[in-house]
Amino acid sequence: MEQIKDCIIDYLKANSFMDKETHLKDSDSLTQNGIIDSIGLLELMDYICEKYSIEIPENMLTPENFDSLQGITNMITKLAK
Amino acid sequence: MRIDAYITEYARKTPQNIALEEGKNSISYSCLEKDINIIASPLMDFKHCRFAILAESGIQYVKLLMAVYRSENIAIPLPIEFPEFSLERILDTAHVNNIITTDTQYSRFGESFFERFGTVIVCSSDSSVKVLRKKIEAEINNPKLRLVLYTSGTTGTPKGVMLSDRSLVANGESIIEVLGITSKDKAALIISPHHAFGNSIIDSHLIAGGSIRIGNMNFMDSVFNLIGSGVSIFYGVPSTYRMLLKYPDRFKKAFTNVRTAASAGGGMDREIVKEIRELAPGLEIVPMYGQTEATARLAYVPAEDADKFVDTIGKAIPGVALDVFDSEYRPVEPNITGELVARGDNILLGYLDDEIATGKRIIDGWLHTGDLAQKLPNGYIRLLGRKDDLIKIGDHRVNPREIEKLIEENNELSKVFVVPVSHEFMGTAISLMVIPTEKTEIETLFAFCRKSLPGYLCPREILLIDHLPLSENGKISNRSIIEEYQHVKASV
Repeated sequence: MEQIKDCIIDYLKANSFMDKETHLKDSDSLTQNGIIDSIGLLELMDYICEKYSIEIPENMLTPENFDSLQGITNMITKLAK
Repeated sequence: MRIDAYITEYARKTPQNIALEEGKNSISYSCLEKDINIIASPLMDFKHCRFAILAESGIQYVKLLMAVYRSENIAIPLPIEFPEFSLERILDTAHVNNIITTDTQYSRFGESFFERFGTVIVCSSDSSVKVLRKKIEAEINNPKLRLVLYTSGTTGTPKGVMLSDRSLVANGESIIEVLGITSKDKAALIISPHHAFGNSIIDSHLIAGGSIRIGNMNFMDSVFNLIGSGVSIFYGVPSTYRMLLKYPDRFKKAFTNVRTAASAGGGMDREIVKEIRELAPGLEIVPMYGQTEATARLAYVPAEDADKFVDTIGKAIPGVALDVFDSEYRPVEPNITGELVARGDNILLGYLDDEIATGKRIIDGWLHTGDLAQKLPNGYIRLLGRKDDLIKIGDHRVNPREIEKLIEENNELSKVFVVPVSHEFMGTAISLMVIPTEKTEIETLFAFCRKSLPGYLCPREILLIDHLPLSENGKISNRSIIEEYQHVKASV
């Protein structure tokens, strides 16, 4: 779980508008805080699918699963089983 | 007539009709009218003053905008997707003393951001208004000015396009006529309302007394649900359609009951039209063309010609005259290249506080678009690129020389060149070619770009090179840069 989260944080630091110093809480909204935009989200999704060899069904492309570190981590954990 | 006056009229004629929807919320014309008056009330003693609006897309944004109109002041919406420093740059050039914002944005930007304003008004989602401070100062403005939309505020000097009530209504009415919008229609507004395209969706559907469903493109499941929720007219930039078409099954289902798919903000390509046709054969596709300087729209390709003439901008919308001029401002014959010019009530009053720029764009009443074009024998117009070196990234017009200057002034490097490269969704993105110094670090450069440029301008890659890409006449141009880039890529 923590490992997945760290990996997403690293990705965001390298590929989004998030600074190295930004401290992001698990439940913070990525879109409301200007960390990622719609195209960035699609790219993040591609990255996750490849990295964890999962397929994300379209009905899971929701704010609950994609707008926070916690949501993304939970979703990956669920799908990678 | 002002745009908000239409709301007053519908609040009287069809009070129960839904005006705006967002997520699980919706608001009728009569409630919208009431809320606009509440928000406008502390603005009433300002006399035609500039008000910056800092608000996320949503019902709340429309209320704030209409409240500024209602109080007969001037609205300057800030594009909140820009980094803070770009917003500050816009504020510096806009000479604006007053701001109205949502509590969400007030807490996101923090108190210090608002220090520069004499008047700060914060509005919460239940439409209660807090006046944090108020300082009424007399301003001298163009008497017709109602709305200022910023075009290139990302880098370089932002340009504020000044629009009047007349231009907003005229363009709204033209769009209503082209798309046949009625009070029964429900529009999908999933692009930013702070720019010309999104703003025109609000105007035209409120003038028609219809409804607008507001959302965003962030979460695809939510977007498809929004489209399938009874939307009759969908609006997107080409990248919107590229993103949606990635999910053909959902696309097919969501668009079953949509009447019209309109586009603007960039040329649709044949591939997009073909894919939409296959998935939604009954859907009417209307590609449109325009610029902020024309309030929003200037031309459209009629639905029946969308397949055949998608590589043109079609013909002028009602109320607009288009022509192609040579360098001495004379109309040219078909198939001869010149500059596209436009005339109509929707043309800008000028650029805010910039008479020199205005004089270059409006000559003898014609808006000079900066787009190179040819008239076709059937009267349609084909675009052939820009007169200047501007490039289109997503639906934004950007000046690569300004981006280069910004990066050079703030980083350790000897020279940088912006290269337009193709991108799956946006059509075009940028990469950088850099002539480094000993201190150049690619990581630091990436970090600077992420922090200082909006997302669509973040470079896809940074390549180090060792000499200048010069064209034959010794000048640096997009063309010479692209050639050098292809050369570098081929040698890797």
